[in-house]
Amino acid sequence: MTAERSAALHGEVVERDVVIVGGGPAGLSAAARLASAGLAVTILDEQPELGGQYYRRPAPAVAEQWGDHRPDGGRLIARVRAAGAECRTGHLVWGVDDDGRTLLASDAAGHPVRLRARHLVLATGAFERVFPFPGWQLPGVTTPGFAQHLAAGDHTTIGERVVLAGSGPFLLPVACSLIELGVTVVGIAEAGRPYRPSLRALGALGHPARLRELAGYVARLARARVPIWQETVVLRADGRDRVSSVTLAAAARPARPVRTVEVDALCVGYGFRPQTDLARMLGCAVRVDVASGDAVPVTDAAGRASRADVYVVGEAAGIGGVHAAKARGLAAAHDILTREVRETVPVAEVRRVASARRRLARFTALTDSLYPGPAALLATLAPALPADTMVCRCEAVRAEEIRATAAGSADGDLNATKAWSRAGMGPCQGRECGFAVAGLVRSVAPRPGAGDGESRVEVFPSRLPVRPIPLATLLELAGPDSQEGDRS
Amino acid sequence: MTTARGRTAPRTRIVVDGNSVHAVDGISLAAVLVGERRWSLRRNPVGDDPRGPFCGMGVCFECEVTVDGRPGVRACITKIYDGMRVETAVEEEAPHDR
Repeated sequence: MTAERSAALHGEVVERDVVIVGGGPAGLSAAARLASAGLAVTILDEQPELGGQYYRRPAPAVAEQWGDHRPDGGRLIARVRAAGAECRTGHLVWGVDDDGRTLLASDAAGHPVRLRARHLVLATGAFERVFPFPGWQLPGVTTPGFAQHLAAGDHTTIGERVVLAGSGPFLLPVACSLIELGVTVVGIAEAGRPYRPSLRALGALGHPARLRELAGYVARLARARVPIWQETVVLRADGRDRVSSVTLAAAARPARPVRTVEVDALCVGYGFRPQTDLARMLGCAVRVDVASGDAVPVTDAAGRASRADVYVVGEAAGIGGVHAAKARGLAAAHDILTREVRETVPVAEVRRVASARRRLARFTALTDSLYPGPAALLATLAPALPADTMVCRCEAVRAEEIRATAAGSADGDLNATKAWSRAGMGPCQGRECGFAVAGLVRSVAPRPGAGDGESRVEVFPSRLPVRPIPLATLLELAGPDSQEGDRS
Repeated sequence: MTTARGRTAPRTRIVVDGNSVHAVDGISLAAVLVGERRWSLRRNPVGDDPRGPFCGMGVCFECEVTVDGRPGVRACITKIYDGMRVETAVEEEAPHDR
């Protein structure tokens, strides 16, 4: 028996200066900075290796043969290890002890581990926002993230003929990864109209480098002649034990078919939702983000939550992308170092990170404004969802049951609807259906009078002003050889 | 299919429902199965309909299989190793034995 396991069994606790939950870009950035300053830092992650979803490491054999798609992730992980941070991979943090601060985890072999720290940094990341449609439970229907992991990490194609659908910038790099592997991307169905050949948005472009990345993807898709069907959503998927076709509809009339396409895989996602369970468990205050309808932890500029010993950084604090995640991780590290008084962080370094954080927040707001806000989308899609659609995949609960429960015994209450209908009570704990169930409840039992956050989302499904990036601008940013090809 | 896969990359042999499958060392089990176009891995306990990998990051539990006798292993966050024995809960109509 290892000393560690013995400690856990005897009720002893691993005591550290800082414990970081989540080994993605935000957690790694915080860990590298804190450990290099000499603090005792432990970083935990559920996955077998550090990196999170964005920096998920390819298998060594894959990296050697086909290259490492994100070598900067490997370098950041190496820095964390070299700085002396204790890296516990395969560790799932599953709870908080009665004292409200000791983390309960299990190691890769399932053995319990208890950890306590003066400062907790929660960098638990995000998961994909999905919305159901008839047939979404068929094998072969996945999230875009799964297709991306298969392509980039495992050099494996998700199918031969694929449609990507949903909304948001993430669909573009996934399509490019598939094309690189020789997959036929039949088309991309985007619920909004972000790519528009108009000049209206030019004045708002505040972060050209990040836009150039987006532009590069658009250019590659143009060269490969992949159509982007805008203001288009999935109406249903069909197939016998496996998806074989997808039928699309106009976003404004989500019940009327406009096109059916044969596929052997279909990847649908609407961006990402913050993973906030641990922050909630620790009693951190959350607020409802009006545009997305998601609950996000209340934090200050340094990421400090309503509890002084807890920081929430990266996507868990609100979706902002990898650069914002890293800046937030560093800002939390600076704050902790200042409080620990062991080191004075150079003023220039603090300023640099703070300014990057603000700049990236502006860019995130700009990008968000290009795509339909999730709360607004939900208000359109939820009422149109066919009655027999399986909304909760785990418990096989259909839209009609959820609507009936919400309008009946649950009286418009989301949690009561969950309890009565069992929607959201399966192994995924409502992560896959939660967004849709909330939308269904609101659509049949709106409570405009109540003043809580959920109701404000119902009353103000406010989408941010749409400021589309001109397609021509994106192509131009990408370079002169990308002007061919057209969009539908 | 993944025609470029593993021309020279070191390969590992695992056993899926009694059939040998060769794949690149250290990739995820979900990738091996999807690469073989073996999509149906389990049956939904309520409706008994076939299910396959969905989220690819350990959230949805739709890719659970039995590995070396241990049930409920999420294929998407499990890396393969030589001799791994995998059982799915769904009989394929035409097994992709190769």
